[in-house]
Amino acid sequence: MKSVVELFGRSQSSQTGDQLLSSRGRLAVLVAVGALALFAPIADAYEPFWLNMLVRMMIFALLALSLDFVFGYAGLLSFGHAAMFGAGGYAAAMLISEVTANALVVLPAAMVVGAVVAGIIGWFSVRARGIYFAMLTLAFAQLFYVMAFTDLPATILGVESFTGGDNGLYGIQRYALFGVDFTPTLVYFYLTLAAVALSFVALLRLSNSPFGRVLQGIRENEERVQFLGYDVRRYKVLGFALSGAFAGLAGGLYVPFQSVSHPGLLHWMISGELVVMLLLGGLGTLWGPMLGAALVVFLEEQLAGFASWEIVLGGIFVVVVIFAPRGLAGAIISVRDDPTNVATNAKRAIRNYIDKVRR
Amino acid sequence: MIESVLRATLLGLQLGMTLALIAAGLTLIFGMLDVINFAHGALYMLGAYFGTVVAGQLGSFWLALVLAPLMVGLVGAAIEIFSLRPLYDRNPLYHILLTFGVAIMIQGAIIEIWGAQSMQIPVPDLLSGSVSVGPVNYPVYWLFVLAVSTLLIAVVWLAIERSDLGILMRASAHDTEMVSALGIDVSKVFTGVFVFGAVLAGVAGVLLGGSRSVHPGMGFGIIIETFIVVVIGGLGSFRGAVYAALLIGLVTAYGALIAPTLTDLFLFAMMAIVLMAKPSGLFGATEAA
Repeated sequence: MKSVVELFGRSQSSQTGDQLLSSRGRLAVLVAVGALALFAPIADAYEPFWLNMLVRMMIFALLALSLDFVFGYAGLLSFGHAAMFGAGGYAAAMLISEVTANALVVLPAAMVVGAVVAGIIGWFSVRARGIYFAMLTLAFAQLFYVMAFTDLPATILGVESFTGGDNGLYGIQRYALFGVDFTPTLVYFYLTLAAVALSFVALLRLSNSPFGRVLQGIRENEERVQFLGYDVRRYKVLGFALSGAFAGLAGGLYVPFQSVSHPGLLHWMISGELVVMLLLGGLGTLWGPMLGAALVVFLEEQLAGFASWEIVLGGIFVVVVIFAPRGLAGAIISVRDDPTNVATNAKRAIRNYIDKVRR
Repeated sequence: MIESVLRATLLGLQLGMTLALIAAGLTLIFGMLDVINFAHGALYMLGAYFGTVVAGQLGSFWLALVLAPLMVGLVGAAIEIFSLRPLYDRNPLYHILLTFGVAIMIQGAIIEIWGAQSMQIPVPDLLSGSVSVGPVNYPVYWLFVLAVSTLLIAVVWLAIERSDLGILMRASAHDTEMVSALGIDVSKVFTGVFVFGAVLAGVAGVLLGGSRSVHPGMGFGIIIETFIVVVIGGLGSFRGAVYAALLIGLVTAYGALIAPTLTDLFLFAMMAIVLMAKPSGLFGATEAA
């Protein structure tokens, strides 16, 4: 029986998203997508605000999913995923206002831009490992942030404005496709749901493909994978670029929805929050981080009116790190496997905590 | 021309030494506890806010300079004992996430208590006004900040290199198990190091609170700059942190003269280059403390 408690001694959780491949897992995913699709028109009719929040939840869930693919599976802690998110967003903003609002052109383009930026950052960063890798991704992502903020590309290209500097690009309209206008939030919701669901399936497949297994192998024991003849660095860069493509897609969905692209999208605070979403949800499960992202968006939204929301949010992170290192997913799995012992497990966790503090 | 260069040099040194105060704590905590303390910027910010309170209530800048850092030390002790201590045997990743959460909590608490508007610590008459340094007219307070932080860094350096406590600290960082086997309570040493780092950050907070504005964004604002310093100097190296802080301070000050918009770009590029060429930083991780 797995419990939340016994993980105190374990340094790295090695849970995977395999449970999603079982028939029960597939059913759960289908039910979740169906429920969202049915709930949307109701929300739209009664409280449009909820629909708006749902769209943002799904976009951040996609972003968290993309990070979980490299961090949870390949063990590459990226502290710079905001760069790919922002790059995809800026690409979408520029294409929509200058070329076309066709979703089938712009969204793939945002993915390509995300993959290219991730490829660049990854190619440099895989030279270092562990925490140094994380610091490198942070440094490169901040380079992109400063470039967007100071509009360096405009200076280099000699044009008046490229990224729009600290104001960003605004007035970005939403997508259109086959004569369908995605401007109403309900229609945009279905576009987002479809994109997120497809990405989820794609990443789940990739994670359980031979390629995904190599990434998992790298997380568990890099040397051994290398001895088996795999080019570890190439796998890492490739995994990072793939992840970046989905982060770019998230950006491409987010910017037209908010109608503005600004440098804040690339800031490290977004990358930091993203890591928190992953941990809160449960690293390496794919579905956990999506839940975590939705929960963080929900909490920020609901607590925003409340003066001390940061205290509550920060407090939740602290409690989760100390008492539930496997996050929401770990807690859900533990309750499902062993519903009778929830109270005993919780008591043990608290006793364990007190012992450690007294040490 | 010479005037502006001299002014930039003074400013860069001052910036560097105050950064060194913050970075020293961050790097010592990493070197010994293996914790990347994301809450370090928040502790610096707390120093500035406690400084405004003490200076405001007791009317003395000098008392603020002494009491506020000690109060920050108390907060540091609470953080170490109640949240970090249960996590030492876990993956260092969890330390980052935990201290990130703590930093958000402190920021929220500050907004709750003092509001979001910016404040300043009143500076005593003795330190206000300006004085001529060669051809440059330079604020007295800034010279004072430079002097105090340089003095503190020198004292800390000596303490780490020479004192018994410093030797104990370096030994615990080097081989925790051995020191523990010699009958020394290592967890007390850990708490001590964390508190010490917090106090240094608190001093920096009070010092800069007198010249810059005190606002709730300053904690997350300084943390990345401090990371750059610590990474360039070598995670865990005190000497490296001091040299790198001076380097960053001067680069920032001269950068403001030449190309103000590109300074940040330059700092991140420096960090990236150092990390790629020598991930352990200029002064390596082999040198404990």
